[in-house]
Amino acid sequence: MYRSQKLSLRYYTAAVALFGVMTVFGLLSALYYLYPSMLFNVFNFNMSKILHIDTLVIWLLMGFLGAVYWYLPKELGREVEGMWLAELMFWVFCATVAVVAVVFLFVQYGGANETSLWLINQGRKYVEAPRWAAIGIVVVMAVFAYNVIATCIKAQKMTGIMWVLVLDLIPLLAVYMDAFPSDTNMSTDLYWWWWLVHMWVESTWEVLIGCIMALVLMDVMGTSRRIVETWLYIEVMLVLGAGILGLGHHYFWIGTPQYWLSIGGFFSALEPLPLLGMVVHAIYDAGTHRMKTNNQPAFYWITAEAFGNFIGAGIWGFMMTLPQINMFSHGTQWTVSHGHFAFYGAYVCGIIAVLYVAKQHVSGVDVLAGRAWKWGFGLLNFGMVGMVMALLLAGMAQAFYERAIGGSTLMAFTTASENPWFTSGMYARMFFGVIFAAGYFVLVYDLLTSPKRVPVLQAQPEPA
Amino acid sequence: MDIEDPSFWRAGAISTTLVMLVVLAFLTIDSMGYIRPGGKHVPEYDVINRHIGYQFDWNRRAAVPVIGDAEPLFGKTVTKTEATALMRTGKLVIQSRACMDCHTIFGNGAYYAPDLTKSWLDPAWQQIWIPMTGKTTREDAMVEFLMHPDKYPTWARAMPNLQITEDEARATVAYLKWLSSIDTNGFPANFGQAGKQP
Amino acid sequence: MTPDALLETAALMGLFVLAGGGYGGLYSAGRLWARPVLIRAGEVCWLVAFAIALAIAVWTPLDVGWKLLILASAIVYALIPPFTWRYLERLHHEQESHR
Repeated sequence: MYRSQKLSLRYYTAAVALFGVMTVFGLLSALYYLYPSMLFNVFNFNMSKILHIDTLVIWLLMGFLGAVYWYLPKELGREVEGMWLAELMFWVFCATVAVVAVVFLFVQYGGANETSLWLINQGRKYVEAPRWAAIGIVVVMAVFAYNVIATCIKAQKMTGIMWVLVLDLIPLLAVYMDAFPSDTNMSTDLYWWWWLVHMWVESTWEVLIGCIMALVLMDVMGTSRRIVETWLYIEVMLVLGAGILGLGHHYFWIGTPQYWLSIGGFFSALEPLPLLGMVVHAIYDAGTHRMKTNNQPAFYWITAEAFGNFIGAGIWGFMMTLPQINMFSHGTQWTVSHGHFAFYGAYVCGIIAVLYVAKQHVSGVDVLAGRAWKWGFGLLNFGMVGMVMALLLAGMAQAFYERAIGGSTLMAFTTASENPWFTSGMYARMFFGVIFAAGYFVLVYDLLTSPKRVPVLQAQPEPA
Repeated sequence: MDIEDPSFWRAGAISTTLVMLVVLAFLTIDSMGYIRPGGKHVPEYDVINRHIGYQFDWNRRAAVPVIGDAEPLFGKTVTKTEATALMRTGKLVIQSRACMDCHTIFGNGAYYAPDLTKSWLDPAWQQIWIPMTGKTTREDAMVEFLMHPDKYPTWARAMPNLQITEDEARATVAYLKWLSSIDTNGFPANFGQAGKQP
Repeated sequence: MTPDALLETAALMGLFVLAGGGYGGLYSAGRLWARPVLIRAGEVCWLVAFAIALAIAVWTPLDVGWKLLILASAIVYALIPPFTWRYLERLHHEQESHR
């Protein structure tokens, strides 16, 4: 195993641990809706939510780093350059996350001054971590970029996938610079904040997971490089073609010009189309290898990724993307429904697939199969779909009662939140959240347990 | 045009990305003219010296803020510089207390607590909090509430005490008043117009 | 937009994409397993998607521009699965012949 692959395993371990932390704070956050006076003035909803969404971002990021460190040496045929620095940065990353979490748990807030932003809480969604920690993340990402680029240079070799990855790292790092400012003007603050959030999760991360999936497809399904590269370029063209101006669907209501309603709605409405292509591609790949692969869980999670992406980002997104609808749905549990489903379908499924690739290599079995992974797969997917449907119910009730009928005032908000459709959704979400959490534990159990040795499959004839 | 050749699609990916980025750059430059203070949609900070309303505009087919006559906040007219300082503090309160991890502003944030975009215009200040706090003006009731929200809950989901000082509370109220003057293309719809349809 | 129209329009939009996805999935499965009945079922899904697009055009209070966009998307949905499948076959066939 290459040294960077050993680092990869460390990143995966940290990622899975933070996935667990995210789940715990997800359950806690959901519980406030049912028991609002819980931990009042001791540990409030906003801190629980911060820990939930920030660990989401961090664990996915760690998953991405782990996946790239895993495949980089194989792709370029040599050890990764600057490994000692990369290994150091892993511990810096973990220490930073730990300190920030402790501060969020026990300090929580500061006064209205720059010191609070530097040391305690920046209060901007997903990037609440204090500035010193944001600097830490920049350094970690910069070293990561150095590792990737320096290895390419030393190997004197570039592949199509590596070009896409390297070019993607530039905007990935650049837009993260918006984790630092604290613009007085909320309109401009949010304008640039969306460059960070949208250009991460709906652009650069899409390209990054595309690169990772290309590498996984070559590994798990033996797909040829030429084919995965062709698909990667098509995907980049379509995702960025729709996604760059699809940024406009966040510019409906923040004080920006009216033309964003048309531009954002139009490009955003196009976004499901490439996702449909991915579904067709996923089914084709499933068939080409006749559902038999030497890594069943990875294969199933890759397929779940294509479907989850289409449904969570495509269907759910399309439902609420037109301004006439979004005016009422924006900032309700409908958004929460879409957010959970889209993140899960677009990224979580893909990272879990990568974890199973690592598991197979670490355990040294020819074929990875078994039963436990199926339980994990079932519980996580069932739990997520259940949560999302519950949130959709609550969100539609909220858009209907609070916004359309109620006029969006405090009383409208309160009344809608007491509406039986809404509260039923909150209870159902809790129930399915517990199922999801159970799936997480099964996933961890399965990843840590040595697999049974399964006899090697007979070679299947390729389809004519 | 060989669509089986990866370099065809590579060229497509590069050109599409570049074209979209250039368009985005132009639109961003234009948008800045709208969203900077004093821009077409965002008033200067000293708008807090004026009355702010919200009315449906049939030409726009959306509700728009209406800036009215003089109505100084806390009875005191402020200069642009003073207003800017108030806004700075108000924004720092919002960030340091992570308000947007319970509330939304322009619908962005967290969904546990109400949207604050038009909170300055919320009838609840007159109907609920002025009587509850014993204050006589909206802004004084808001300050009292922000300093001790746990003393004035209106329903089961009470706002916690975030140790907001009086100066911080006054700055936050100023911020919320300015926020309500921003033209958000009609968000939130029908604010305060329960039961009435345009 | 009335409250009822809000939910109806949003639901139709979601079902439109779902039907489009159903077409993509069933068509692909039908081509994969050489089962014409699945391909037919997929085409029925597309007809449902198109019918929903028409319903959106006729019954919802969206502006005409958006209605045209949705109808145009319905046409594009019809093309994506067969074109994608054919392209994948060509790509893999070309790859095979290079081996």
